[in-house]
Amino acid sequence: MTNHFGDIVANSKLIMMVGANSAVANPIGFKHFLQAKDRGAKLIVVDPIFTRSAAKADIYVRIRPGTDIAFAYGLLHVIFKNGWEDKDFIDHRTYAMDQIRAEAAKWTPEEASNVSGASVAQILEVAELYAKTKPAAIAWSLGITQHSVGSSNTRILPILALVTGNAGKAGGGCQIIRGHDNVQGATDMANLADSLPGYYGLGKAAWEYYAKTWGVSLEYLQSRFHPELDAKGEHKWMHAKGFSLAKWWQGVLQEEKTHSSAPIRVLWVQGTGITSMSQQVKIKEAIDKLDMLVVAEPFVNEAAIITDRKDGIYILPAATQFECEGTLSATNRSAQWRTQVVEPLYESKADHEVMFAFAKKFGFYDEYVKGMKMRVEKGEVVQYKDDFVWPDDAVREIARTVKSIGLSGWTPERLRKHQANWHLFDPLTLKGHGEMEGEYYGLPWPCWDEKHPGSPVLYDVSKPVNEGGMGFRNRFGMEHNGVSQIADETVTLPGQKIKGGYPQLTKANIEKVLGITLSEEEKAQMGPSWAMDFSGIIQKYAREYGVCVYGNARARTIVWEFPDPVPVHREPIHSPRWDLVQKYPALPDQDNNFRVATRFISEQTKQDWSKEFPTIMTSMRLVNLSGAGMLERTSKYLSSITPEMFANIHPDLASKYGIEDKGMMWIHAPHGTKIKVRAHYNRSVTADRICMPYNFAGVMQGVDLSANYPEGTRPYTIGESSCTVVNYGFDPITQISEFNAGLCRVEKA
Amino acid sequence: MSKTETQILSSSKVGRRSFLKMAALGTASFGAGNLLAKEEKIRAASAEEVKNPFPGSKTVKTICSICSAGCGIKAEVQNGVWVRQEPAHDHPISEGSHCCKGTDQIDLTKSKQRIKYPMKKENGKWHRLTWDQAIEEISSKMLKIREENGPDTAMFLGSAKFNNQQSYYFRKFAAFWGSNNIDHVARI
Repeated sequence: MTNHFGDIVANSKLIMMVGANSAVANPIGFKHFLQAKDRGAKLIVVDPIFTRSAAKADIYVRIRPGTDIAFAYGLLHVIFKNGWEDKDFIDHRTYAMDQIRAEAAKWTPEEASNVSGASVAQILEVAELYAKTKPAAIAWSLGITQHSVGSSNTRILPILALVTGNAGKAGGGCQIIRGHDNVQGATDMANLADSLPGYYGLGKAAWEYYAKTWGVSLEYLQSRFHPELDAKGEHKWMHAKGFSLAKWWQGVLQEEKTHSSAPIRVLWVQGTGITSMSQQVKIKEAIDKLDMLVVAEPFVNEAAIITDRKDGIYILPAATQFECEGTLSATNRSAQWRTQVVEPLYESKADHEVMFAFAKKFGFYDEYVKGMKMRVEKGEVVQYKDDFVWPDDAVREIARTVKSIGLSGWTPERLRKHQANWHLFDPLTLKGHGEMEGEYYGLPWPCWDEKHPGSPVLYDVSKPVNEGGMGFRNRFGMEHNGVSQIADETVTLPGQKIKGGYPQLTKANIEKVLGITLSEEEKAQMGPSWAMDFSGIIQKYAREYGVCVYGNARARTIVWEFPDPVPVHREPIHSPRWDLVQKYPALPDQDNNFRVATRFISEQTKQDWSKEFPTIMTSMRLVNLSGAGMLERTSKYLSSITPEMFANIHPDLASKYGIEDKGMMWIHAPHGTKIKVRAHYNRSVTADRICMPYNFAGVMQGVDLSANYPEGTRPYTIGESSCTVVNYGFDPITQISEFNAGLCRVEKA
Repeated sequence: MSKTETQILSSSKVGRRSFLKMAALGTASFGAGNLLAKEEKIRAASAEEVKNPFPGSKTVKTICSICSAGCGIKAEVQNGVWVRQEPAHDHPISEGSHCCKGTDQIDLTKSKQRIKYPMKKENGKWHRLTWDQAIEEISSKMLKIREENGPDTAMFLGSAKFNNQQSYYFRKFAAFWGSNNIDHVARI
């Protein structure tokens, strides 16, 4: 989220939600949208189904799943054609908008309507309202990301914000409303196959940096990995992305081509509901084939239930987050201190205690926790004590290390103080009062140093950097195709002592950029760049000169490293519009992403899937369940709200197949799987599509798996997982699964 | 024996003889309980109890563990037991609001279906283990597999429910194990 919920209430004049149903998924987040509406903001909801959020909208636009890009280009076409774009913003702060303009020119309202299903009149109405109402926020969730074109989807919406000059504005911006309580933090901390914490990647420089902060040698870390060297003589598997959550199972089954040093033989699951992932039958087969499954959870992870295996499953009791202490990052990037409420119940252990216990057995415990006994002295990370205090010393280790997103100011002392004084912060501005004066609640990152107040609105150039302002990040070089990537002279923030745009600060350029001379001592202590400068000297000078360590650059609207530099519409892998598959085909198949091959065009054009599977299938959210439902289905009260799995189906479609309201139906997927669920007649869907929650498990392809639960652990409700029939399909960059634009065939059961 | 009878018997003010006498009158436990309750069992609530049904409790500020909005919770704890959950009206994000999932955090934590001890499935049946047994068995098997095929034989799935420190330490755990096979639901 570039802004925060209070900012939306106070400042937004329009909110356009695309692929988000926050009314049920994040109800207290959505409350803020309703408060904004009470203050006169317009609410537009774009969604394939008429959701609870849509019910509150001033304008509801129904589009076909997987056509967000076509719809957005329809808006851009109208905006450019009428000259409603923010020309100054585009000229001073963006790059390559001409390429977006060229693509948008193809998307007449008629073609955007043909592809997306929104009417021409609605496209014209929304384009004008969005372009002319300032400031306007765009909000999205998994309806945008969970697609085989998810990474393009997440680019086209910020482009809308850039075109209309809404980026970096109070009341504007891009509000990505995240799911789980700490999905933002877990991503920042890199529970990810393609990076170390803080998005440093897996390159050699990143590993060297982390070796230093962990107090071990690079050679030691190298010795932990598979010894194979690549052509450059580097440790191949240390620098290669690992298997992802979306397709790890191919590391076991190896039906598609894999590229790894070994097959996966052990699955360790600690807090991820496995039934919320697509291709459930493949996941089951993979778990069957493993040597061992280890599950550490407060409640039974249905990874242990969906398998037929008789041996080799371990379930360990992990504590909930009320039985341990630490910080978490809200969707607006604020850190909140979560105090332990009670001791771990029964024999459960806090998650980190589970890790520590195994680290001892694996023989790396001393090295593993050493980082918590260290601090920075004269630019070097050195050990200064023999024990550590959890979580405080881990908070300090993260603060001295994760500079890339500005966590340097997140000290345990400050964050505890924010919690103790949360009543002193203004809900609309997050500004502190009294002794919290001058800070924003939770020090929303980036929080560049221990004096920085946090950044409530990203890319806000109206504030000094030292008070939470910043330009766009200089991350992609100084120029591209001969064009400077640095913001022009007009983009000078208040308090900035040099004029206009500037590059990110490095040891090599800081003297030139700021016009300073470093002492020999400073040079000796300084890291190679701002993100790897333990000494903090680069930030010290940045503060003095009112500049942002990451630079002041242009927002690029194209990503030249991606297969689609300009985001383009591509039909879903399983498209109901065979005619459009020819015009907007999927990408070529991928040989290796996250160690596995993935089918795109070959799957899309294998046959006209819509003939055999004529009904669109998409997902929906429920107010009482989240994720795999593993937590809430063990609550009697929450379970009772939706006591069983169901699909919403329009009576016109249902009656065509003789399916009765509250009768049972089969849903068949193109890859040959099926689920049996109760049909709910419902007019939130049209007759061409059905929608289903994805939060159930414990029944697979009509078979009740109750007997597989250890005694006393079966949740109050079990049901088919919609992920059993979620179609094959993955994003080319993130490998996120295509949860929202699939096809199916329904049948009376 | 009913609860009432137990209370009567455990009360020092009711002798065994008088209890038997009442029982002999055929009032049965229900009647006896009522009679005694009126005279003996309703003690005066202490001044502290009148103010707070959980004397000596403390209030802990914490954060809901469901969605990313980050709503505040005030958890009341008495003698190590989470006895009551209050919305945090002074919290700058939620201002006292909760959804149904948030209001249920106290019950969810204490759900009967919590996993209570380590278990292993063997010959199709679940068996209870100690932590030491579980750690020993799992780690020796993992080390053997690591020895045979290297560290990329393991896949670690972490969590969006970890706090930041656990999350960082889970990434570090995979690194020290020696693999980039680590992920969580942000991919999903």
